[in-house]
Amino acid sequence: MAVKKDYKDQQLAEKLRDRKYYIPDSNPEFIKDVEKIGQTAAHMCYQCGTCTGSCPSAPRSSYRIRLFMRKAVLGLEEECLTDPDLWLCTTCYSCTDRCPRNLAPTDAIMAMRNLAFKRDIIPRNFLQTVQLIYKSGHGVPNNDANRAARKKLGLEEEPETTLKYPEYLPGIRKILDHYRLKENADRILAEGE
Amino acid sequence: MAEVKKNEEPRIGVFVCHCGTNIAGSIDVKAVMEYARTLPNVAIADDYQYMCSTPGQNKIAEAIAEQKLTGVVVAACSPRLHEPTFRNATKAGGLNPFRFEMANIREQNSWVHMHQPEEATAKAKDAVRIAVAKASLLEDLVPKSVPVEKAAMVVGGGVGGMQAALDLANAGIKTYLVEKSPTIGGRMSQLDKTFPTLDCSQCILTPKMVDVYRNEGIELLTYTEVEQVEGYIGNFDVTLRKKARGVITPAEAEARGIVGGGCTGCGDCVDVCPVIKPNPFELGMAPRKAIYIYHPQVSPLIFTVDFDACVKCGLCVEACGEKKAVDLEMKDELMTVKVGTVVLALGYDIFPIEKKFEWGYKNYDNVITSLEFERLICASGPTGGHLIRPSDGETPKRVAFVLCAGSRDSTGVGKPYCSRFCCMYSLKHAHQIIEKIPGVVPYIFYMDIRSFGKMYEEFYYRIQDEGAKFIRGRVANILEDPVTKNLHVNAEDTLLGRPIDMEVDLVVLAAAIQPSAETEKTRRLFGVSCSQDGWLLEAHPKLNPCGTTTAGVYLAGVCQGPKDIPDTVAQAEGAASAASIPIHRGEVELEPYFAQCMEEKCAGCGLCVNQCPYGALALVEKDGRTVMQVTEAKCKGCGTCGGFCPGGAIWMQHFATPQIVAQIDAFLLGGEQ
Repeated sequence: MAVKKDYKDQQLAEKLRDRKYYIPDSNPEFIKDVEKIGQTAAHMCYQCGTCTGSCPSAPRSSYRIRLFMRKAVLGLEEECLTDPDLWLCTTCYSCTDRCPRNLAPTDAIMAMRNLAFKRDIIPRNFLQTVQLIYKSGHGVPNNDANRAARKKLGLEEEPETTLKYPEYLPGIRKILDHYRLKENADRILAEGE
Repeated sequence: MAEVKKNEEPRIGVFVCHCGTNIAGSIDVKAVMEYARTLPNVAIADDYQYMCSTPGQNKIAEAIAEQKLTGVVVAACSPRLHEPTFRNATKAGGLNPFRFEMANIREQNSWVHMHQPEEATAKAKDAVRIAVAKASLLEDLVPKSVPVEKAAMVVGGGVGGMQAALDLANAGIKTYLVEKSPTIGGRMSQLDKTFPTLDCSQCILTPKMVDVYRNEGIELLTYTEVEQVEGYIGNFDVTLRKKARGVITPAEAEARGIVGGGCTGCGDCVDVCPVIKPNPFELGMAPRKAIYIYHPQVSPLIFTVDFDACVKCGLCVEACGEKKAVDLEMKDELMTVKVGTVVLALGYDIFPIEKKFEWGYKNYDNVITSLEFERLICASGPTGGHLIRPSDGETPKRVAFVLCAGSRDSTGVGKPYCSRFCCMYSLKHAHQIIEKIPGVVPYIFYMDIRSFGKMYEEFYYRIQDEGAKFIRGRVANILEDPVTKNLHVNAEDTLLGRPIDMEVDLVVLAAAIQPSAETEKTRRLFGVSCSQDGWLLEAHPKLNPCGTTTAGVYLAGVCQGPKDIPDTVAQAEGAASAASIPIHRGEVELEPYFAQCMEEKCAGCGLCVNQCPYGALALVEKDGRTVMQVTEAKCKGCGTCGGFCPGGAIWMQHFATPQIVAQIDAFLLGGEQ
């Protein structure tokens, strides 16, 4: 376990925090959970960096998919699930296309997001998106600017989706209700107020 | 003629091996031994720590003498390991060695059932019971000796094949060196320098080529392919196709009665030939004519007509004049040679790296393979040794080397194995550009640098010191600037933990290698197995790396798996040595697992004759009847005929029907008679 020293100054304590990796920090079940949910042999990662090299998020953020794979292999569950970078994957699947070990790093990330959500660790904007989908069937609903642009292009104001056919909205809500997604989103958002 | 012998009352000795804890760790050896004592025909049962040790073997010999045994069973490891050992022990005890039977209770039992001791012990008892049933019916067999032809064949004229042929010939063995292309030399003659010594590749290779050409023990057959193979160790009949070369040698001219004729390599024909084609030796980066040699140092120095391109205008015939070396009507010729042993040195091809489309090979002008780099940096290459960008002929100042391009790739597109020499030649390439281009920076994108050979790590140290930049990360993709044709190499510097976008002038892909195009066809002709990725399978990866499971056929060089030049030459010398042993002994013993015809039962229908994959069976007249006869030396004991014969008239020695039925009965009836 990390050695704690009793510095009076909290800033100094954080600065000089023991950053070594100790075996008790590891949860060996974590990689198994990630593999079961993600359906990919994440422990076979050989850290070549093709994923991060392919990643559109990496150049503009601190998101490093290779490091998530590494931490998953080492069972560093807390570090993975509490890292806000986990939510920066755009799920473009470029890493999955190119991974020379034929792994699906995207699906490993999705698995970790699943595990995080089970512990209510999820950014508020994701939850707000859930609410929007519940409300309109869209993560990004139509707005007046869009409607005007569509009209200018000779299109109908509303696209061929729930926006035009609101009678299909109950079906979408049924799916969200089945997984209690809306309920949990509302609850977590309310708790965070 | 074999027949079911009325054996004297069988007396079997059973010996159960502990193999330390390998077997005894999960199998109750004592219980298996006690069980063996209860089996019919068992005269003695014993166990020992290591049956393969000298005391263990002595137990067998002593028991044979004391107990007057008629058969021996050892329950231990795989017969592939110790069957010869225990056969010798059986022989030492005064019994025919083929009266020995092995029960595998290690590879097929204790190792796979490590955590199920009870079931493993029960299975071991089954295996012993089955082996005892067979041992009770075993007969004396005598191996057959066949003479060995005092000649050898080497297929493939690269550096490995050349070395094997030289060694065989220098050991006094007539050697046929068969090469499909018009010259020997292989891949090594395409290389500029060799790592880690930086010797000029051609400079160290051409003396060997000359040696091969001049060696009186070597019959050099270039532009020739293997067409058909018949026979077995000691007596291979190999049919070769001498492809129509369109040009005759001085010797061939003399045979045709043309005095002072034949190709002298003068090249007058090339000057007049109107057809231009890409030269495959230069990977298509330089032209050649329809009548051509690959490069000035070819051996033999004989021109070749590419009949797919030749328009038969006859200008070359005129230019050749009185030498009359060009014969545009030449046809392929078949010839058959008899050899005792064969060395396969079939080499490799470059993996078609354009299949990994993210790196843009064949799509972007300035992405080349490392073999193309070798030709471009080579003084005798298409650019006279000036490395240029294919797009504009400029000298590149920033060069990226992409390692593991298609190697260590489990996607199904590339190759799962390490190609083994790319790290080292890429280091060499970095050195070569630093040496030739002032101010150049080589960037080496790598996952691991595998510099494991003698003086290789020191070479890595040297190249790093010379200024090569190493970036630990596999290249994700390459994009081309459509205007400048520069390339953007995208990767992650995994040591920094940052993605990089590196603009370079030239990218060199260290492409994976794969078995050469002819490997599959040739290995089938010689009956050699291959592994999943197509490399030819050695008899044992550690203890018999030059041999194959086909007796008399040996492997040299990359066709067995990726290898650099030193390893290829070393294996070639090993293969040549192995291939010379049967020839120098003069005869080989064949295991006596032959089919035998029981003539009184044979109806002479001849159905078996066509079934035999080895052409070992024939119908003959005997005492006024037609019966089948086996050529024992050709028979491999596969059992096809024995299983097929409608009259049950074929006796498979050592795998006879009564023996196999006894084994099945012993298993199914659980020992109850």
